[in-house]
Amino acid sequence: MTEVLLLGRRSIREVLRYPEATIPTLFIPLFFLAVNIGQVQKTFPADSTPFLHGQSYVAFQMPVSLMFAVATATTGLALVTEIDSGYFDKLLVAPIRRTSLIVGRLAADLVRGLAASIVVLLVGIIIFGMHVEAGPAGAVLVVLLAACFGVAYAGFGILVALHTRNVQATNTSFLLFFPLLFLTPNFVPFDRLSPLMETLARINPVSYVIVGIRSLIIDGWVIDKILVCVGVIVVMGVVLIGLSLRAIKTYDR
Amino acid sequence: MEDHRGAPAIEARELSRSFKGGIEAVRAVDLSVDEGEIFGFLGPNGAGKSTAVRMFCTLLPPSSGRASVAGHDVMDEGDAVRRDIGVALQEIGLDPVQTGRELLELQCGLYGITGSAGRDRAAELLELVGLTEAADRRTKTYSGGMKRRLDLASALVHRPRVLFLDEPTTGLDPASRLTVWDEVRSINADGTTIFLTTQYLEEADELCERLAIIDHGELVAQGTPEDLKAAIGKDVVTVQLRGADPERTRDVIGELPGLDRVLGEENELALFVEDGATSIAEIVRRLDAASVEVGAISVSRPSLDDVFLEATGRRLEGAEQAPEHADEAAEEDEAAARAVAP
Repeated sequence: MTEVLLLGRRSIREVLRYPEATIPTLFIPLFFLAVNIGQVQKTFPADSTPFLHGQSYVAFQMPVSLMFAVATATTGLALVTEIDSGYFDKLLVAPIRRTSLIVGRLAADLVRGLAASIVVLLVGIIIFGMHVEAGPAGAVLVVLLAACFGVAYAGFGILVALHTRNVQATNTSFLLFFPLLFLTPNFVPFDRLSPLMETLARINPVSYVIVGIRSLIIDGWVIDKILVCVGVIVVMGVVLIGLSLRAIKTYDR
Repeated sequence: MEDHRGAPAIEARELSRSFKGGIEAVRAVDLSVDEGEIFGFLGPNGAGKSTAVRMFCTLLPPSSGRASVAGHDVMDEGDAVRRDIGVALQEIGLDPVQTGRELLELQCGLYGITGSAGRDRAAELLELVGLTEAADRRTKTYSGGMKRRLDLASALVHRPRVLFLDEPTTGLDPASRLTVWDEVRSINADGTTIFLTTQYLEEADELCERLAIIDHGELVAQGTPEDLKAAIGKDVVTVQLRGADPERTRDVIGELPGLDRVLGEENELALFVEDGATSIAEIVRRLDAASVEVGAISVSRPSLDDVFLEATGRRLEGAEQAPEHADEAAEEDEAAARAVAP
């Protein structure tokens, strides 16, 4: 346990000392939030758009911005850079469980994910005037769900880093993010999508994360949507992190 | 804890490693290093030194054969091996984001030395390698020599029984090289067994009690530097050819009294003789009589380079290279070894 804390502290230190790596990951969700709202808010007025339940379109877009904020290739990149520099070898030679190298990094992802979600949510509330229908407890859950999704998603970058050991390959792995995030009901609900888009969106697990978080913001406590959202995040986490842990156990073994 | 005293600190039997594409980086290496020894692995870039070290350190599994370190099998008892060894790899593994002190304190923590014990040990090691003043700067601001010294310190946090140093002075200026040599000697004086790889003849000669010469993955000679040199004869007469035909020159010199053997390289002939002074006069006379013009002719005691020449048929490449070039080549070598790992 000590080694996880030590390695986690080091990863967090890395996040704090490289603000230039974190700030752009915050810029993108806020930029898209502002731009998307600016473009379609008039198309979906709060008082005459049924799926907004009286809120402005900001509330509908917020979950997408949260996904943008937490799903980054940062951890995979930090890991592959560490492999490249040789420091990873030094850590592998230490008498520690190899899995703690991954868990320590994920701990930092959790911290970064919490911080980023809080910032994005607060911008939505303070600057764009939205509110979370499920109340303060709901807002906390929104932040937690987004951060946990970020941790699960980080498993993907770690997998690419460990398998390719290549900075460029790890860097391009973020491309996967586009189908995952845009083949979803990100602009309108499922039933407003074209049939093909709807089929793809319904297959895409990220849709249910967005829908679950959105339900807390717009509808209040809709338990089945929240449970599905939690379930998707847990399954994603178990699969991606499980594969990462296996990858590091068999790394050069 | 089991007592492994008396057992060799490092032992390898038929240790081999090949990579994808059929590259045999290490071939059937047999060696045994005694506890408390400084053992050297001398060879040119790409000879397989780093691959062997990675196998001893449990970073790379052997393709075949066995190895044990501090009495533990590297495959079956990897955890026990890792507890007993310190490692400074050729590619200096430092985290640029941390300060020297943070890096050492983290390293202490990973070996179970936490709290004030960890802080004290880190401070002590910073003092030992002369980095106390730079301790609170991030390591990315360090010079090459400082990084090397910090890396060495980080390998020592837990007072390892066996210390692996992969080319500890490659790329260092002569003054820093001497500092590292002193540190290696003082670490060894405390009883730590040291296994070091080098491409520098002088380093192997100065520092190592025993050494093995490795070329193309195979050990071609093994022993104390003195024994290795003594085994190839008394004096070496080197004839710089400077354009002269090697075959003809060799024929003209012909049989000399006390001549053991002649080894030819591209630009020079090395003659291993009983008595250099008499031979040199005779060689000059014969070349002169046959009007063969050559460059300088010199006589010397056998060096490790002559040992290398005798074992491999060529001079140790890279030994005379400028350090920075040697470093680049070595890094490529290391990167290649890691890139082709499965």
